[in-house]
Amino acid sequence: MNASASPIDARRILAEQIATHTITLTDRAELLQLEPGRVVGLSGPDGSGLTRLGLSLLREPARSAPVVAVDTRGWLSPAAAWEMGIPPGRLAVIRCDDRRIWPQALAALIGGVRSIYAELPAGVTDQALRRLAALARRERTGLVLRGVDRPVPSGVAHLAISAEGIEWRGVDQGHGRLTTRQMSLLASGKAMRGIERRIEVEDDGTNLVRVVGGLATASPGRAAG
Amino acid sequence: MVDDRRVVAANRAARQAGVVVGMARREGEALCPGGVILDRDPARETLRFEPVVQIVEAIVPRVEVVAPGSLLVDITGALRYYGGEQVVVERIMERLADPGVRIGVAGGPFAARLAAGSAAPGTVHFVDDDHAFLASQDVSSIANEDLVAIFRWLGIGTLGALSSLPRHAIATRFGNDGLRAHRLASGEEGRVSARPIPPDVDVDEQYEEPLVLLEHVGFAARALAHRLIGALAAAGTAAHRIEVEATAATGERRSRVWRSKDPFTAEMLAERVWWQLRAWTESEGVPGGIIRLRLSPADVSGTGRQLGFFEDTVAEIEAERALARVQALVGHDQVLEAEPAGGREPGERVRWRRRGEPTDLPQSEGAPWPGATPAPTPALVPPHRPSVGVRWDDGMPVQVRLRSRWVPVLNWAGPWRRTGRWWEGQPDVDRYQIVTSAGAFLCEVDGDTVRLVGVYD
Repeated sequence: MNASASPIDARRILAEQIATHTITLTDRAELLQLEPGRVVGLSGPDGSGLTRLGLSLLREPARSAPVVAVDTRGWLSPAAAWEMGIPPGRLAVIRCDDRRIWPQALAALIGGVRSIYAELPAGVTDQALRRLAALARRERTGLVLRGVDRPVPSGVAHLAISAEGIEWRGVDQGHGRLTTRQMSLLASGKAMRGIERRIEVEDDGTNLVRVVGGLATASPGRAAG
Repeated sequence: MVDDRRVVAANRAARQAGVVVGMARREGEALCPGGVILDRDPARETLRFEPVVQIVEAIVPRVEVVAPGSLLVDITGALRYYGGEQVVVERIMERLADPGVRIGVAGGPFAARLAAGSAAPGTVHFVDDDHAFLASQDVSSIANEDLVAIFRWLGIGTLGALSSLPRHAIATRFGNDGLRAHRLASGEEGRVSARPIPPDVDVDEQYEEPLVLLEHVGFAARALAHRLIGALAAAGTAAHRIEVEATAATGERRSRVWRSKDPFTAEMLAERVWWQLRAWTESEGVPGGIIRLRLSPADVSGTGRQLGFFEDTVAEIEAERALARVQALVGHDQVLEAEPAGGREPGERVRWRRRGEPTDLPQSEGAPWPGATPAPTPALVPPHRPSVGVRWDDGMPVQVRLRSRWVPVLNWAGPWRRTGRWWEGQPDVDRYQIVTSAGAFLCEVDGDTVRLVGVYD
């Protein structure tokens, strides 16, 4: 990064336009990616933008194999997944909110499906989630856990992301329409090498998401690596 | 009786009124205004046909069911045992004792089928020379309407005329369909390439609790059919004949071979396995329920589907198995697939179906749908639009109630009027996109009621 660049220039230089699936952190820029055997935890309330982000992580795996979304509320819209680039024939949606069956169903899926997005139902124990995460690592299944009413427990996810804020653009007191949003996310976990960092993701409604690196990487009280 | 809006069978009274097989349903209804119209039920037909299959099977083993009502029997091995094809056929006719049965005997399955079709009820049509017999048959016998129309336009009216043309010329002009038609016309149907059956391609499943309920049987049939076709596809092959074997709780084993002129697809096979298992279950053929199911290809050919360059077939097979297990855990209705459909609202643009079920014809996705909600699509769409509290100030939303607290509206867009289907009593509504500190929502306003259409999550 050019230290003398203005914030706007820095943004232009560092913004990596990438498909959402490649939001993985590397030495060059913050990028995320759902790799085999990795667990990504997404924590935040409805409306924080994490459902769409989680679905977008399935895009790349869906190019070669079926992917599954486990829906606990019956609200998940596959149209959003299609918009993110997941082919309709490659996505299966499983509706299950029973806390006793959910771990069994997810364990069965981990045994055969390579990439899964799963919402956490109420009442599933942390211990069950840790077992499932261990199973996903062993079976080399990419698993995205979405906590809605509760955060994904610490230690479960290789990369833990929590929603910090969201800003919508395109509307103005009755005019325009929603076009783009910018999410502020807090990333932590092993994938971050123990450093908690803030990243910003821009979503314009297509299957491309701009991950803006270097803009807000300073975390409270720690130096950004 | 109708199938896909075409008459497939008619009783004597209907025939006397002018109804013929193949006629459009509406035409039949016009000729017989008081007639009872039934939808075809292949599973029930299989059940009714099962005793016929068993009788023939008792005389000549290894019969192959082509469709309910149609049976293919290889009598090559039985000729020496019984002393000639005349004796075999007479015995079958005698045991069936049905004046409507029609039998064709020929050198190949296609010619035998045509011979049976041309035989009078209660008679046998022996074909001495397949080539001569086929040469005289009308070109429509190949059962491909588009191709037949082109052949007729080119002046090819019989199978003989078709088979006399150079095969490479037909293949060049008409591709695989033409090649297949030429092979049929030349009496080569059923000669699948001698590709070895891949080892371990059989699929079977054992059940701790015997399958008694038809719903469970159907689910098991579908899961196993998908597994077998997946395994065959992984080997780059496809099967024309599949053996279905079921073991009853009492230890009794039943098996049946089903044949298809085209390579079996997962859906085709699932359908036929389901028909067969239902027939066995309802006719007490598997007493005590099914404890084991096995599907194995009786032959395979290299004319399977072309694998996609980026497809990971092994992953697809593993996923199929995993989803079948999950179906057993959460229920068949909870494992879903969706396909794009036409509509103006986010919920309308998704057509749900249970996984493994055939695709319905969706509304045209490509139609204009004026007034459709633009992208991005809400990631969460409640199936039953719940009402939400909104406070207004001079026509502008100022607060939204989320659960028990009111949050201020930061920004908003709308209204967009959606004209309802007045002929169905649907009211006109106004749609708003409302942005709060807790996220963005798509709402519709009908008078004083505000309903949540989607959450931009």
